[in-house]
Amino acid sequence: MRARNLRRVSLFILAWLIILVTPQIVHAYAGPGAGFAVISSFWTLFVAFFYSFYALVTWPIRQLSRWFRRRKAYQKAQVKRAVIVGFDGMDPELANRFMDEGRMPHFAQMCDRGTFRPLRTTFPAISPVAWSTFQTGVNPGKHNIYDFLARDANNYLPYLSSAQIREPKRRLKIGKYSLPLGKPEIQGMRRGTPFWHRLGEAGVFCSIVRVPVTFPPEKFPGVLLSGMCVPDLKGSQGTFCFCTTRAANGRFREGGVRIPFERIASEYRCFIPGPEDPLGSGKDLRAEFTVRPNSDGAKAEIKLDSESFMLKVGEYSEWVPVKFKAGLGFSARGICRFYLKQLTPEVEVYVTPVNIDPARPDLPISHPVTYSIYLAKLFGPYATLGLAEDTWALNEEVLDDKAFLAQCYGNHEDRERMFFDALEKTPQGLCACVFDTTDRVQHMFWRYLEDGHPAAKDVSADSRPQVIQELYARMDDLIGRVMKKIDDETLLLVISDHGFKSFARCVNVNAWLHENGYLTLKDGKTESGDWFEDVDWSRTRAYTMGLNGIYLNIKGREREGIVDAGAESTALKEELRTKLHGLVDPASGKVSITGMFDCEGVYAGPYVDNAPDLIVGYGAGYRASWDSVMGKVTGTVFEDNTKAWSGDHCVDPRLVPGVLFSNRKINVEKPAIVDVAPTMLQLFGLKLPAYFDGKPWAVSTK
Amino acid sequence: MSAFFKLRVLVFCGLNPLWVVLGVSLIVGLLMVLVFRYTSDQKAIARAKDRLKAHLLAVRLFQDQLTVVLRAYGEIVLGTGSYLRLTFTPLLIAILPMTFLIIQLDRYLGWTPLQPMHSFLLETQANTLESLEQIELRLPDGLTASAPPVHIPKEKLVVWRLEARHAGEYDVGIEVGGQSVDKQVVVSSTLERISPVKLRGSLWQRMLSSAEPALPDTSVIQSISVYYPHRSIRFLGMEWNWIVLFFVVSLVSGFIFKSALGIQI
Repeated sequence: MRARNLRRVSLFILAWLIILVTPQIVHAYAGPGAGFAVISSFWTLFVAFFYSFYALVTWPIRQLSRWFRRRKAYQKAQVKRAVIVGFDGMDPELANRFMDEGRMPHFAQMCDRGTFRPLRTTFPAISPVAWSTFQTGVNPGKHNIYDFLARDANNYLPYLSSAQIREPKRRLKIGKYSLPLGKPEIQGMRRGTPFWHRLGEAGVFCSIVRVPVTFPPEKFPGVLLSGMCVPDLKGSQGTFCFCTTRAANGRFREGGVRIPFERIASEYRCFIPGPEDPLGSGKDLRAEFTVRPNSDGAKAEIKLDSESFMLKVGEYSEWVPVKFKAGLGFSARGICRFYLKQLTPEVEVYVTPVNIDPARPDLPISHPVTYSIYLAKLFGPYATLGLAEDTWALNEEVLDDKAFLAQCYGNHEDRERMFFDALEKTPQGLCACVFDTTDRVQHMFWRYLEDGHPAAKDVSADSRPQVIQELYARMDDLIGRVMKKIDDETLLLVISDHGFKSFARCVNVNAWLHENGYLTLKDGKTESGDWFEDVDWSRTRAYTMGLNGIYLNIKGREREGIVDAGAESTALKEELRTKLHGLVDPASGKVSITGMFDCEGVYAGPYVDNAPDLIVGYGAGYRASWDSVMGKVTGTVFEDNTKAWSGDHCVDPRLVPGVLFSNRKINVEKPAIVDVAPTMLQLFGLKLPAYFDGKPWAVSTK
Repeated sequence: MSAFFKLRVLVFCGLNPLWVVLGVSLIVGLLMVLVFRYTSDQKAIARAKDRLKAHLLAVRLFQDQLTVVLRAYGEIVLGTGSYLRLTFTPLLIAILPMTFLIIQLDRYLGWTPLQPMHSFLLETQANTLESLEQIELRLPDGLTASAPPVHIPKEKLVVWRLEARHAGEYDVGIEVGGQSVDKQVVVSSTLERISPVKLRGSLWQRMLSSAEPALPDTSVIQSISVYYPHRSIRFLGMEWNWIVLFFVVSLVSGFIFKSALGIQI
């Protein structure tokens, strides 16, 4: 049957080719120009026709098979379609305040006619943890994500908790080259099954856009574009490049590299650092570019490979394709944007992290792989990096507020287009999309929301920009447009993974552990560099890295552990809990830690052993210090946070619930993010697995 | 234009027609993509093509959603229209020179010249039956008639079977009612410019089919034709009409050049 169809198709193509290539009247042919147009359009139409024909012919069979699979799901389904809009970090207190001020009429409408509740988050209240719980319906002890970073007990070094990318195992050595045989191995570290896998298997079509911790994308019957945790082309979580003629003043703390311009006549030459040479030279690949300022000093021409474009000062370029050539035909392709910061007195150009090109992805970023290509062809190139809004560039003052916001909202508009397309393509089933602009903007602009924030001391109350107010109003406008697109049979849920609080003061828990004798430095040292460089592990009982976790140096688990598992570790945990709980900041007299949580009390599941032993719940206004997060031990426990990153949620999870809005009444007192997965399965009439930790909500059918 | 081509193609005269076709096709392929590059909205073409590809992918990605598939198919049809509209300008610009180029090349490559000692037909069409009876043939040295003329009154035609003893360019005279007109006959073994017909009036037909001056308007002769054999070119083990070969090679070279030069077509 298949062979016969193929033969028919071949004959059809052949017949058309014969017609095309045998013009009977010589002058009827206008050369290859006409040929290009005819062949291209004919081919497109032919492929479209073939696909459509195939889809139409097989549609009844597929419908039958889908009906058979989903008959139970749709028999008991309470909704035709569910739409989940995730706003990372949307805070219920702020939402309430802005609704009262009339800035969010669509949210207020949902609050009046449907549901609005604070949504309990996870321990800790960190996006990868909370969104993993959202999708799997289980606590972190069952999905294995406890922070952005996890620690390797063999060397006390961090690694990315969500995914690991490893070089191909086999290589072929030829002279100075070492050729990779195969592709890099990508291993997802999140365990558990996202609820859309179960829906898809039951015949419910799902479009999932930019939900965090979905990299690497897993196979399921639906479409998915990965979100937070997608790396850049270097494999990092986002490394920007700042090219400048200004004299160097140290490297950036993290997140970027500074590269000096080389001046040649009236041109400035620089390069974008790329991924490591796949041929094993150990060096990073480079893509060179030049900047030629105009005589007026207001514009410059930037040339990169065959691309050439003009930029005004203070302007971003479009997404520019960038190719890193390795030799022997090996190359890596990505996309980036240039921002011309200034031309006088110094020449400064910021280049975004090199994103994986969605139209030609070097690593899979969607399922099926054609979904990212489809979106790129439909809307043009877009940011694929998980943390695409370059908060570090603003933190390090490489970007200013305006440039950062332009980047954020540029990405946000792309995602809106993708989301509305997914909504249109999912007339029945589940459509879920997470917008993370809310998180990034609140992190970076909280300083303008409150009086006396150390990062905005010089800004008077009346001159503070209303960035967060405008952010919430913008999200309200988005929800208004969503409401217009959905009918009465569609359930709309707007949720966030956590709320937000000020981050005005830093707490270096490693410094506190050092001061109190739990962490010991090597002889003669009073401080330690990054990642416990100068820590004496043979005399250290506890340490912290990442945002909220404290680890005990357990014998047999850590490489140089000294604390016995069992009674000794239990006693040590209790001792630390007691001492740290209620820790007062001497400068303000405020309590900096309002909760200390034993992992055995908050987690249950097969991966609890990978969890930190204690979770620190910082009070409002406090968070782990920048140094502490990176395993650094300093001389002071408390210090002001003067960085633009001025709001945070890595605090006591009880202080930062997320939001739950719905266009329907939901009868639940204290909903939690862990309940979303069971609720979705129940809404579509599926049985709930016994291992779920969440409980389904009673959603009104009207 | 014809004189220009005569001059240009003189360069190729010693060459195998295959090399001429391949060479011209490569150059034309390159020129055409350059015409596309400079006369079209490259960004709009790229965008239109991308959108077409997106809708094609949508048909595949959302094949379970019938309404989505049908809408995507509609978008494909509309998108194809937009794409053709964008390619119309370069097409319009290229069509005139391309038509002239092909006509001129066809003079050389469409037929093979006559061979010495091989007979061929010369056909004359008159206006009226009366004048058909008066037509006489005047042969130059080197050409002989190998059979008496055949009159076809129904079609007002008279046909002679002729033969050339030597290679060369001959002018065959046709006389009728005191008027005399000439028709060129080419006998050669190399690439030559050939005019298979000489016509009266019919400007467009003459431009497209004839490489000789028109017959006088007052002449009673409508046309004089010589039956040259059609040329076929052997390439990749197949016999090709030169224009088919030109089409394929120019298209392939165009696609190669457009990729190498980063041009959207």
